[in-house]
Amino acid sequence: MDQLKTREEILLRMVKSFTENEVAPFDSEIDQTRSYVNNLLEKVHDAGFYSLVTPEEYGGAGFDGRTSAKVLNILAKGNASIAVTLEGHYKSVEQIVKYGNDKLKAKYLPQSADRIIAFPMTEPTGGSNPMGINSHAEKHGDSWIINGDKIMITNGGLAEIYCAMVKTAPTELSFFVVDQDMDGFEFGKQEKFLGLTGCPIGEILMDNIEVDEYHLLGKVGMGPEIGNSAHDDARVLMGAVLTGIMEHQLDIVSEYATQRKAMDTPIIELQTIQRKVADMTIAKETTKLLYQQAAIMKDSGQDYEQEAAMAKAHGSRAAVKSGDDALQILGGYGYSLEYPVEHLIRDARAMELAEGSVEKMRTEIALIEAKSRV
Amino acid sequence: MKIVVGLKQVPETTNVKINEKTKNIDRRGVSGVINKYDRNALQTALDIRDVVGGTVIAMSMGPNDFAVSLQEALSLGADEAVLLSDRAFGGADTLATGYVLAEAIKKIGGVDLVIMGQQSVDADTGQMGPIVAEMLGISQVTYADEIQPKSDNELRIKRYDDNIEQEIIAKTPLMLTTTGNAGKPEYVNVVEIKNSFEKPLTTWTSKDMPVDSNRLGQSGSPTVVRRIMSPEPKERAGKMLSTDATKAAEELAGILHEENLLAEED
Amino acid sequence: MTDIRENWIFAEKSINKINSATFQLITKMKSISEIPVTVVLLESQADSFENEIKQYGPDKILTVKDDELDKADDVSVASALSGLIDKFGTPISFIFAATTFGRSVAPRLQAKLLTGLTADCLDLSFEDDLLVQTKPSYGDNIMCEIVIPDFKPQMATVRPNIFKAEKVFDDTTKIVEINDLNWDKDANIQITTHVLPAKTDENLATADRIVALGRGGKQDLNNANELANKINATVGVTRPLTDMDEFDQSQQIGQSGETVAPDLLINLGVSGSVQFTAGIENANTIVSVNTDKHAPIFKQSDYCFNGSSEDFLKALNKVL
Repeated sequence: MDQLKTREEILLRMVKSFTENEVAPFDSEIDQTRSYVNNLLEKVHDAGFYSLVTPEEYGGAGFDGRTSAKVLNILAKGNASIAVTLEGHYKSVEQIVKYGNDKLKAKYLPQSADRIIAFPMTEPTGGSNPMGINSHAEKHGDSWIINGDKIMITNGGLAEIYCAMVKTAPTELSFFVVDQDMDGFEFGKQEKFLGLTGCPIGEILMDNIEVDEYHLLGKVGMGPEIGNSAHDDARVLMGAVLTGIMEHQLDIVSEYATQRKAMDTPIIELQTIQRKVADMTIAKETTKLLYQQAAIMKDSGQDYEQEAAMAKAHGSRAAVKSGDDALQILGGYGYSLEYPVEHLIRDARAMELAEGSVEKMRTEIALIEAKSRV
Repeated sequence: MKIVVGLKQVPETTNVKINEKTKNIDRRGVSGVINKYDRNALQTALDIRDVVGGTVIAMSMGPNDFAVSLQEALSLGADEAVLLSDRAFGGADTLATGYVLAEAIKKIGGVDLVIMGQQSVDADTGQMGPIVAEMLGISQVTYADEIQPKSDNELRIKRYDDNIEQEIIAKTPLMLTTTGNAGKPEYVNVVEIKNSFEKPLTTWTSKDMPVDSNRLGQSGSPTVVRRIMSPEPKERAGKMLSTDATKAAEELAGILHEENLLAEED
Repeated sequence: MTDIRENWIFAEKSINKINSATFQLITKMKSISEIPVTVVLLESQADSFENEIKQYGPDKILTVKDDELDKADDVSVASALSGLIDKFGTPISFIFAATTFGRSVAPRLQAKLLTGLTADCLDLSFEDDLLVQTKPSYGDNIMCEIVIPDFKPQMATVRPNIFKAEKVFDDTTKIVEINDLNWDKDANIQITTHVLPAKTDENLATADRIVALGRGGKQDLNNANELANKINATVGVTRPLTDMDEFDQSQQIGQSGETVAPDLLINLGVSGSVQFTAGIENANTIVSVNTDKHAPIFKQSDYCFNGSSEDFLKALNKVL
């Protein structure tokens, strides 16, 4: 028996059945109530999802990038919000694994089984332009004093641990790990976003939080590198989430188009419908290939920045377009709040913005491509 | 208690079709899962063990890839697993399968309780529990809904025989088959999967048990599947009743009586 | 053991009467084979269910009068049936209803006799002495034709209410009473039974009969309720009606509601949108009433009445 393959198969069986029974039936309710109804988070926690990518030596399951992406692909087919909540957690865990010192890892990685970790970068004055941020940390003896506010944090308010990007000098960016139990830590307001409404988006306020030196992620000045690394990891997982959204759209459309009849013929027999379903299928499959390719390269230690960016840039636009096609096929039902098609468009739309806008991603893709050829 | 749980790996969906070319069931892209009623059986076994103590042994007969389902059972909390796998077992019907399972349970020895799901969702026979019970010469309670250990060798069981509710006190050794109401199957914990590889999963072939080769596989199977077919699509005749309401009602009442559609189910 | 040219049917009892599936099996077996039909009946000394059974015209009834066997467990019954075969010989076939009891006892007996058994058959036929059994698998998505060429009895359990029972009027059934059957009692099982009140289950998914109301039938709720009471049916509705105070979401049939599989579904003023019909494909018999003779629901129905549901309901409630 190939142990790794068997491990993955058992995991994916569980994820499928979990999605079918605990996630998919509540998709619309999660969207409409803006919360993880029916104790979903508790169930996600109890099944051990928080520990998926945490290394075994820290009590985690230690699954690789490919497997974790597949897990989110399956979950997202049931509900994209919960998949994005886990995406935010996994990419944060991965940065602590990659850049944390031993003491930091020993403190926070075992906690990752029960506490969600978030990765705040954005501030009112800077997001895609990180040098625009105002948060800062000052060294006082063996510790650092951190001040500043972070906004629009994925899982902000839900997460208990935060890897926050701050300035350690006017042109120097660094990351520190803080948590909600520290003095000076406070939660700010919650955003009301258009899509992925189940996933909380909120602010944190850091007022003279004092942390020991070991809370510094990597070294002083490594902010840009760590930020990029987190983006790359998040984008692979977002490609998976977007694939799940498109699979969900295709499920709805296929069922409808084979049953709905126009003049006694199921509408799937009509070329105008076929064209849309074919485009949706191609969009889903290309996104899937891109995220899996990026994950394989990540797991084998190759550069995957460009592939990750393509998975998200291509997948997010493709999923919005695919959702629009689905809406058009379902007609009035597609436009109705009682059917899930409309919220899948809203969900997909979020990922044209999060983890770097598609415009920024195109810049990265183009520069990597051009540089590799000259 | 020493408990054996019979598990079958089945396709994850029963929504399968017949391939027009091969005339066989098309299972392309369909992966396996543990038969859902067997999950109830396993959970029941784990719950009993957690109260009275003992060992839960998961057992399955099938090709090597069924080992995944046994590994899953170990991840869910079973203590040991046995896969019965041999080319000679292939093509077995219920009787020949029951024979191998019974022989394996005899080989384990000292088994107090055998639990299986009420039926598999692919073959839908529901025969395995009673067959194995008969071959082991032990009592049986089928379609059990609620099971509680009463003592070290007694179970209190609730089941329904149509609309008769039965409460049964059964002594071990015993065969139980479980409905979808028995036990509350839990999800595999993500972290437990890797730990399950520390538990024993053994494969037994026909050489590991004192079996009569004439009773194995196809040669030991009295039933022969001659043909598989797609079910006839339901065609609705759309027969128009009289346009006069009174006449139409009389016509319909006649049809309903004739087709036995108003008879109370027993 | 000697072979006998008989087909055996196990008479199943449920709460002081014979399960109608037994009568259906008698009629079916008589219609597909010339081989004599014998019904095996286990009853208490005081009972005489053979009188009820013989109205369906089996050639013979083997009546085992034994108070202890009357409500016995699977193991004891299987032992008694095996004892009967020892005593009378091995029949060509031995058929049970695919009820909880039939599906538990038949395989136990199968393993005693080391023969073949096909569970939950939807159809039976004979090719000479070979019993051809059609059973569904994969949740009714596939049909299998199964035979047991070299072993006897050829055993099967058959799903109830697939065949129609027909009474016959010639009284030639031979009744054989057996008072000295040896069987092993299972001492490990103690059963306490408790008869539940008749189904009060309002659950659409499991209802045997459903009266469904659509937009065109909502004003007929009272008449529809009367019909539902008469035929012991559950009331279901289409999606638009769930907005009315009288109904709630749990009564909705269709894609975003319940998938139903009743024996009988009567649609009143239901137009037949895909969202609705997706949920009724597994209904056995569908009757639809609609004022629009082009209503799509008629193509999904076995019997149709083109006219007012009010008139139809009043007339039907009168005759039923």
